[in-house]
This record gives sequence, structure tokens and C-alpha cells, in this order.
Amino acid sequence: MKQKKILPYVLIFPTFLFVSVFTVWPTLLSLSKSFFKQRLNIAKYREPVFNGLQNYSDLFHDHEFINVLYNTLIYVLGTVPLTILAAFLLAQLLNNKFKGIGYFRLAFFHPSILPMVSAATIWMFFLTPDYGLFNTSLSFLGYTGPQNWTANPNLALFAVMIIAFWKNAGYYMIFYLAGLQNLPSSIYEAAKLDGAGYFRTTFSITLPLLKRSTLFISTIAFISAFQTIDHIFVLTKGGPSGKSTVLLYYLWQTRFENLDVGKASAVTIILIVTLLAFTMSNIMLSEKKEVPRG
Amino acid sequence: MKKALIILLLLTLVISGGLFANGNKESAPAAAPETVAKAEPVTIEIYYPVAVDAPIAKILAGYIADFQKENPNITVNPVFSGGYGDVKTAVQTTFEGGGKAPAMAVMLATDLYDLINADYILPLDSLLTKVPDKSGYLNDIFPSFLENSKYDGKIWSIPFQRSAVVLYYNKDLFKEAGLSAPDSWDSLAAAAQKLTIPGKRWGIEWPSGWPYWLFQPLAIGAGQNIIGDSDTEVIFDNPKVVDAVNFYISLSKNYKATPAGVQGSWGAVPTNFANGSTAMIVHSTGSLTGIINQANFEVGVMPIPGKTKGTYASVPGGGNFYLLKGASDAEQEAAIKFAYFVTQPKYAADFSTKTGYIAVRKSAYDEPVMKEYLAKVPQAADTRDALKYAGKELSLQNLGEVRNIFHKHLQAAYSGTVTAAEAMAAAQKEADAALKDFK
Repeated sequence: MKQKKILPYVLIFPTFLFVSVFTVWPTLLSLSKSFFKQRLNIAKYREPVFNGLQNYSDLFHDHEFINVLYNTLIYVLGTVPLTILAAFLLAQLLNNKFKGIGYFRLAFFHPSILPMVSAATIWMFFLTPDYGLFNTSLSFLGYTGPQNWTANPNLALFAVMIIAFWKNAGYYMIFYLAGLQNLPSSIYEAAKLDGAGYFRTTFSITLPLLKRSTLFISTIAFISAFQTIDHIFVLTKGGPSGKSTVLLYYLWQTRFENLDVGKASAVTIILIVTLLAFTMSNIMLSEKKEVPRG
Repeated sequence: MKKALIILLLLTLVISGGLFANGNKESAPAAAPETVAKAEPVTIEIYYPVAVDAPIAKILAGYIADFQKENPNITVNPVFSGGYGDVKTAVQTTFEGGGKAPAMAVMLATDLYDLINADYILPLDSLLTKVPDKSGYLNDIFPSFLENSKYDGKIWSIPFQRSAVVLYYNKDLFKEAGLSAPDSWDSLAAAAQKLTIPGKRWGIEWPSGWPYWLFQPLAIGAGQNIIGDSDTEVIFDNPKVVDAVNFYISLSKNYKATPAGVQGSWGAVPTNFANGSTAMIVHSTGSLTGIINQANFEVGVMPIPGKTKGTYASVPGGGNFYLLKGASDAEQEAAIKFAYFVTQPKYAADFSTKTGYIAVRKSAYDEPVMKEYLAKVPQAADTRDALKYAGKELSLQNLGEVRNIFHKHLQAAYSGTVTAAEAMAAAQKEADAALKDFK
């Protein structure tokens, strides 16, 4: 009897240890460092000096940081919902049986097996002004606007968003596709007999049944939108004039270019709090709705 | 059954662990007899970036083999750690994490101040007394390369893979159009305009995705470098610097000879030049080999023309050897020995001919291998000669932050969202604030 109570703890111990050492401890370390001024390239601040909430206050009074938050917001809101929507529609499309389905599944999924750096390098060639594939295709469709995607202040952020969309839609599609294939066909047959059309079926049957998939996908999509900056490194380096600098890129610049450990720790905490707040509220909202059904 | 399996697994683990431990024990006495006969065996690690399109890893492995033959007690382990940024990050995280840093690393010449302030690197003066003919050695290194190695009256790094900004021009097109090599901003702009065919060919391409380096020759050519004499002084708002920004903008705005706005085209322009879709490019000397191999026309290489007729400008770039703190005396000595070894004229010449970097030693150009190469690729001498016109590369306290500030405002001017004068005034103000703590 007693053994049974110990066993669960023994089983979660390795995970607990791993999470404590590699997640909780660094987070606490960042939290404590964010209250200190420490700059590795200034001799007198090489050792941390306590300065309370100064790092946070500096950040929120710095219009450049506000600009970074704004860019991040645009990036996340611009990529996450659209990517999930596209993933869902693609999954519905590819859940049908028709000739050549394998080809289309492969075509939509293949970007997600590429490392982001490779994907960004490929897109660097697509986006080349004058003769890049992207511009050539667009001008074939009648586009006559600016072609300098990665270096135009109004287009740079949009350009990296396009790549994230292209890269992720196929990946999230797989989760929806797996979900769709697990749904019993009898429900759809019944709905069809009742005369439900595509929209009715989608909104009343498919989406509610795939709620868990949506929760999972939106969580990883949101986190990945904050965490993936490889394409920004390759294509724009946050530029021009900081127009495509997002939170994590700014964190890297602060820590490894400006060597500002204190400020970088504060940015880390802001990033963690944002991610936690979203993930928690996402789960809570989604679980809450389930109560009346239960 | 399960229990038996677990026991079996554990046993395997223990046995393999025991074998490893034995292996370690055995290897120690095996090495001992040699230590009696010769110098103590030393192993050093070198962190190393690959920043150009050349088989650096293979080339370096050859040098290391030669070096180890000459110094059988030293083992050199090169660790290829990505680009320059990755090497610096790797070194930083090793130090901050309390790990043992490599004995030596190749990092940007301009990283000097950050590395000194962070207390990562060692001054080399006393170690350099161990190489044959220290002053002759240092005097033989091109002065503009050695400039970024000096601080506080000491030498902190050994120039190794070095480059400079040059203008590549299509000599065939110039001949066709009856043009001679540009010798001023006016003649450069005029040539670019004349060689432009709208929709088909640009007169000139001048990348500005990460712009300070390719911009510096313009500022120097206008008569005012953006970096001052002290390590905390930048000169951004000087009218001559503003003039330089305006000249860059005029190439697209007035002469229509280059695409408008910021150009994130670093990787694309050597190919554009080699396939004839642009008549001139401003790029690193490191692209010479690639361009010569691709181009089916006569390639001209020269420093960037200055504002006044007959003046020219360039700026050096690239990486140096730094010795990192934490290594033992024997390791430090081995590291400096290796840095000296691969910068001997013979190796400097060989490295230059294989990579396109400029050989760091003057005497490397007297080596037979270099002479042979120059007979085939006379432009390699032009890349070296551009150094005569080179000013100091942007390197100072708080480099990362100051450089980002400069990039932000310079690009805003290039994009046309503010005027050149406004951009440079704002850059000066922000940079001065960022440097306040360093004065």
C-alpha cells in the first residue's frame, strides 16, 4: 500500500529533475538577474549591481522596445490565426480521397521538415529583386509594387511572416488531418441525412470535435511564433532600421551584441510571462467551455 | 523477465564504464616515456569561423598537419563553430558558464574592446617575445590590419583572415562605353549612370543590409571617417559624413543607376556582377576568387573612388587570432606558436591564394606560390594595394550597440524616411548616450 504512494513520485522524479534544472532554475536565475545592472563590456558593471526594477522601467520607457513589442504583436497576430486557419482548410481538403492526394500532402507538408535556416535561405533566393521566383510569379499575376521585400521598411516584417506561414501551415495541417481521420464517419453521414451543408457540418461537428487539436495547435503555434527567429537572422537581421526586430531577436541583440545581461534577463522574464499568460488562458478558456457539456 | 533485463542493462553499463576507465588509466602511462624524452605534450583547441565560400576546414587541416610535424608535442584541435557571431557567442557562453575556453579563437578584429572589457583575452606582448624576430614580424604585417589589434599600448590579436572593401568593375563594359576607371564620386556616378540599362542592367550595386562596413569607404572618401581617435568617439553628424550618405542615396535617386532604398543583397551581388546584370559592385576582397571563376569578362578591382578627383578609400575587415584567458602557460605558448606558424609568409601566401583573403604579411607577396598566382590573377595585387587607402574599421567601446544605432539611422536615411542630416544627427545623439558609461 505504502509502496503504491511512492511509486508515482519515483516515476515523475526524472522529469521533475529535468524541468527543475533546465527550466525552473534558469527562469529563477533570469528573474534575479533582471533586478541587477550587469554589462559585460563595462568594467565597473561587470559584477552585478542591484538596481531594483530599473531594467523594466528603462525598457518600457524606451520607444525602441515599444516598437519591438509592436512588431512582435503584428507578427504573432498576423501569422498564428492565419496559419491555423490555413492548416484547418488544407486538412479538410486533403482528407478527401482523390487521385494524387499523396502528392499534395507531401507538397504541403514538406516545408515543415526543412530547418528554418534552410527555408529562409531558399526564400532569400525566391525574394531576390528582379529575378527571384516570388517576384517573377507576382509580376506574372500583375504585381507592380516594390520587389525589395527584405530591405523595404514597410515589407520586411511582412516578408518574414510569409515564410513563417509557408513553413508552419503544413505542419499544423498534419495535426488537424490526424484529428479528422479519427472522427467517425457515421456522424457525418447522419448530418448529411439531416441536410447539413459544409458550413453547418464544419462549425457544429468538425470544429467542436477537434477542439483539443485546436488547443494544442494554437499553443504550439503561439509559442513558436515567439521563439522562431532563424529566418529573421538570415533575411533581415531585424532591419531595415529595426522594422523586423521581434522580441526574441531583440533579446539576442541585448544579450550578445550589447552584452547587457540585466536588461536581457528582464526581456527574458517579459517573454516568459507573456507566453505563460497566453498558454494558461488558452487552456483555461478551452477547458471551461467543456463544463456544461460534461 | 523485466528485472533480468534491467540487471542486464545495468551490467552492460558498468562494464562499459569500467572499460572506459581502464582505457583512460592505460593511456596515461603510455604517454609518459615520450614526456621524458621531449617537451610536455600540449593539446590546444581553436574555435574558428567559416565566413567565406572556401574549403577553410580542409586548408587549415593541412596547416595543422604541417605544424604538428614540426612540433610533435603539440596537438591542435580546430573547432569549427559557424560564423563569426557564433564563435563569439560560443566563447561568451563558455566563459559565463564557467567552462574551459579554448586556448585560441578567430574572431572579428573589431571585437577587441568587448573582449578586453569582458576580460576574455590576453595581451600578446610578452608571449610574442617567444617568436623569432618579434619586431620584424609585426612590421611585416600590413599596418591597416594591425591597427585593430592595438589598445592601451599593447597587442591583443594577430591578423589572420583579412579582407577589405573594394570596387569590382566590368572592364569590358567600361571599354565598350569608352569609360576609364572612375577616380572620383562624379566619375563613378557618371559611369554607373551610363552603364545602366533600365530593366536589364544596373550601373552599380552597393549592399546595405548590414551597412556600416561598405559605408565607411564613402565617409573616408568624403574626408571624414565615422570613427574618432579615442575608443569612445564616433563622428556621425559631420557634414562630410552626411555628404557621403547623400552620395549613396543620389546613386539611385538622381542617377537611377542602382536600386532605391536599403539593399539586402550581400549574397546576390557577386553573382549579379559575374553574370553581367550589374556593371560594378562594392564588396569584400574575399569574393575575388568566386567572381573571377564565374565571370567571362575582364574583372577590374580598385579601391572606392573618393569625393575629390584622384582620392580613394577602403576599409579593412575580417578576423584575427585571440588568445583566451584560462589556458595554461604551455597552452598559451603553443597557441602563439601556431598563430605565428600559419602567418609565416609561405602559409599566408598559400592561404590567400586558396581563399581570396589578403595575405596579412607584406613578404607573402614575394613567395613563389603568390607570384605564380599573381601572374594568373593580377587583381589579387589590386586587393592588396587597396589597403594603402584604407581607414580604420569601426571598432570602439560598446561596438554592438553603437553599430546597431548607426545601422538603424543610416538605413532610415537610405529608405528615405528621414533626411541624411536628420538621420546622422539622431545617430550621433543616441551613440553618444550609449557611450556615456564608457568615458
